[in-house]
Amino acid sequence: MSALLQVEKLEVVYGRAITAIQGITLNANKGEIVALLGTNGAGKTTTLRAISGFLGLDDARVTEGAIHFKNENLANRPPYLITKLGIVLVPERDKVFPNLSVVENLAASVPASGADRKRLEEMTFAFFPKLAELRARTAGLLSGGERQMLALASAIVCGPELLLVDELSLGLAPVVVEDLAQRLVEIRNQLGITILLVEQNAAVALSIADRGYVLENGRVVLDGDATRLKNHPDIQEFYLGGAGERRSYRDVKQYRRSRRWYG
Amino acid sequence: MSNREPRASGYFRSSYDQGLRLVETRTQWTSLILFLAVLGIFPFVASSFQLDLANQVFLACIGSVALMLLTGYAGQVSLGHAGLIAAGAFTAGILFKEFGAKFWVTIPAAAVIGALIGLIFGLPSLRLRGLYLAVSTLALHFVVVYLGGEYETKRGFSTGIVIDVPRIGDFVLRDRKIWYFVLFAFAAAALLISLNLLRSRTGRAWAAIRSHETIAEALGIGVPAQKLLAFVISSSMTAVAGALFGYYRGFVSVEAFSLFLSIQYVAMIIIGGMGSILGAILGAVFVTLLPYAIEYAVGLLPNARSYAGMLAAFNYAAFGIVMILFLVFEPQGLVGVWRRVQNYFLLWPFKQKPLGGGRK
Repeated sequence: MSALLQVEKLEVVYGRAITAIQGITLNANKGEIVALLGTNGAGKTTTLRAISGFLGLDDARVTEGAIHFKNENLANRPPYLITKLGIVLVPERDKVFPNLSVVENLAASVPASGADRKRLEEMTFAFFPKLAELRARTAGLLSGGERQMLALASAIVCGPELLLVDELSLGLAPVVVEDLAQRLVEIRNQLGITILLVEQNAAVALSIADRGYVLENGRVVLDGDATRLKNHPDIQEFYLGGAGERRSYRDVKQYRRSRRWYG
Repeated sequence: MSNREPRASGYFRSSYDQGLRLVETRTQWTSLILFLAVLGIFPFVASSFQLDLANQVFLACIGSVALMLLTGYAGQVSLGHAGLIAAGAFTAGILFKEFGAKFWVTIPAAAVIGALIGLIFGLPSLRLRGLYLAVSTLALHFVVVYLGGEYETKRGFSTGIVIDVPRIGDFVLRDRKIWYFVLFAFAAAALLISLNLLRSRTGRAWAAIRSHETIAEALGIGVPAQKLLAFVISSSMTAVAGALFGYYRGFVSVEAFSLFLSIQYVAMIIIGGMGSILGAILGAVFVTLLPYAIEYAVGLLPNARSYAGMLAAFNYAAFGIVMILFLVFEPQGLVGVWRRVQNYFLLWPFKQKPLGGGRK
């Protein structure tokens, strides 16, 4: 079976100088939740941007490799056409239109051609009853959690097959993150939407994901089943806080390098 | 439990379709009809001077509504508006002078020329934002005015192009009263076109682009095409206003289209209130009438004669001061004032509007 999303030997270069992604291969099957883990600068967000077509924002480009979605090559497609294909990105920080109300935010999403907007909007409100309550409120006045909810809702109104979620947990309370993570699982279960989740918070990501990839310095260093990853000693140590003493990021890097070279 | 919560007073929509209606409540219907009645009676009671003022306001309305679409809704700053008005006026003037074209040819021609110019000068908006875009639109103004000036000197109309009184069949557009109705019709058409655009997919896309381009694109909006569309529609409407202006004055000359005119249009939408069509209209009324109001006020001063020479300076100064005052004290513009008054009466005896989305 060929996967819904296939990223093959992807290489991304920023400003013709910095190779942020150095040959990443990953895939996501239909109905899966796939986690992309890694520290800052590992290349998680860049990978998402490459898939969703937003590399141009930072003068980056794909120099090698290919991204296939439903066996179509995504190269050189502008973001809005990729959205039309069924891949919707929920960005990292700014994710809603702050000066529009909740309803207007949802109304701005362009549903896939042929989809029934009204049905999608009603479905979204059924998914997020809180948003239905807040429908007239200006999005800029929402709390962080509500905003994240609205961002997910806007994405769902587009009727995606693949949802790219960048840093679901960023700046949110653990309780809220927990709740939102459960929503993602429901979105997958009830709507059959495949989710690619980029996270720093490995515990949350691995608790809902089926599979995961660990990126470091633009390479996949570990991949496999979520349970397998969860029990992997390296993950335990660096991402789930199992290490006895705190290490700085530099230490982690050096430690890993030494292990690669000597061991 | 929910029964005991305080309910907001006012008008609330209870279905999606209501949000799409142009006129929603009975009060709105009554006030609209009353307003139209006043506009209908006005030319029969007004003096010739007052009619001229009203006509100027109508012309300004078309331009400011067009600019509001571009800047207030789609979020693309333009300082080249006077250039577009000039382009429309010159299109009408040149077509008339060179080919003897009729009114019903020159007006659509101005719309087409405006659209083309809009398309070309919209292209930088795909790369530039904010201040940089504003400067690139300034170029539009200089290019058009330069070309207009070249035409004037090359063809020997160094003082300007005189346009004959237009006729539509046997109908002669000479009288200010007739112009009143013609301009009113054009302004109403511009208004209806804009309102309809804004409640369509295009309007939603523009609002999204103004708010955040990247998210708009992530949610499937074709940002480049929508931006260009905003430029094309806005420029086309503005050029038509320019052509009408040329006909109304019976005279087209580059001197009429200074950079100050562009600034005035920007002032209209700022003073009126960004992101509101009503604001565009209020702003057009305000900015058009301000100089006359100042003239009147100066006339009331003792020794009025001795100030007469300084009137122009007074105008500029007052204009600047009003702009600053609005930016600082009423960023929402006249429409903000209007909304506050409206809310006061809607909510009475309460003072605070609930943060949207209380109970339905």
